[in-house]
Amino acid sequence: MDPEEVEFLGEKENVVIVPTFNYGVIHLIAGDIGPFRAGLPIKVPLWVAINLKQQQTCKIQQPDWMDVENLEVLKENEKNAITFTRMPNEHYMALTKALLKFAPDDLIRANEIRTLVKDIWDIRMSKLRSSVDLLIKEKSSYAAVDNLTILEINSVRPLLPHALDQIHRMKKLQGPQLGTNSSAGHTSSYSFRS
Amino acid sequence: MEDDENLHALLDTQDDEENEIELSPAVLIEVMEEAWLNEKFSPEILPNKIDFVELLLGQLSAMEENLENVGDRDIKKTLHLLEVDRLRFLVGSYLRMRLEKIEFYVDHILKQENSRLENREDLYLTEAELTFARNFKEGIDNHFEHLMRVHPTIPVDWKNQVIQPNIHSFVFSRSKTNIESIIIDEGNDDETVYVNKDSQMIISYNSVSNLVKKGDVQLV
Repeated sequence: MDPEEVEFLGEKENVVIVPTFNYGVIHLIAGDIGPFRAGLPIKVPLWVAINLKQQQTCKIQQPDWMDVENLEVLKENEKNAITFTRMPNEHYMALTKALLKFAPDDLIRANEIRTLVKDIWDIRMSKLRSSVDLLIKEKSSYAAVDNLTILEINSVRPLLPHALDQIHRMKKLQGPQLGTNSSAGHTSSYSFRS
Repeated sequence: MEDDENLHALLDTQDDEENEIELSPAVLIEVMEEAWLNEKFSPEILPNKIDFVELLLGQLSAMEENLENVGDRDIKKTLHLLEVDRLRFLVGSYLRMRLEKIEFYVDHILKQENSRLENREDLYLTEAELTFARNFKEGIDNHFEHLMRVHPTIPVDWKNQVIQPNIHSFVFSRSKTNIESIIIDEGNDDETVYVNKDSQMIISYNSVSNLVKKGDVQLV
């Protein structure tokens, strides 16, 4: 999947904006948004927020989880946990990227946010790489990938599924004696959580 | 999650009254997004969702018609147009992916459709897709026949080499409900696992293909 398509999905996430104009309810196909009252915060999908921001008719409120203090906690947790921690938002990367690009003036300490989110991403990617390495070495037939976000899954998609497919083919050819070996003691059900 | 329940309730009523599907547009979009992702990641072509496609396209043309009466400087107009564009992309991308699969696996897909016809099962392709597939196959076959006549020494068993999707390929899945048992094909002996709602796995497609078609598992 193209990263743009992952972004496309992420743009459906709701964010809070503070409009600078008054307007009634807009009946979008996906649901109603509004009414807009200048100065009153209101929830809209990200793609709406970006469009309004580009016309300079709103401010985007930074999501709570994007606070620098909170991100530092998340980063520490991610560093200390063996497994993947649950991210505050399925599309945390897309949201951060969009806000940094289109509304950097609405963020508090934007540069630190950029660094922290990149750090969290890097920690997770390195974890992902070592998990994949283990998974391949153990010749597993499946694995739990809980708490991975779509963009992260997407980053291993070009390689991992094909590698597992090749292993599966080899297993089939190897015959039963090795097959029993792999199913003994549940080594085959290696989980990203363990 | 609430939407999911609504959807199931609505889909149940769909069985009762054949042609009437009543869905809120928001749920409709969600169904389309899920179908888009499933089609994107499943190696084989999935049962068509033409009813939903047509409903959504209907919504889009209705919206475009309404917008003709709205002034260009209205904030509303840009947002509505943007949404229409986003949804058109979704539907277009979904339909294009199906066509790509049909072109690639045309022999295999037509064979499967024929056996579904014989068994009086629901077809996976829409009528239009089926016509396209048949025409496409005819064109390809004619083309190759023609080429082969120039080189009569080449053996003719290329006709039996049907390109098939690799249903063993690995996919990422998210379960939408608790699933009692997923059978893992270990190559030699099988293993079953219990899967909780909302858990994500990387797994062989043929282990979950039926669950994907049933809507219990979403490909991501």
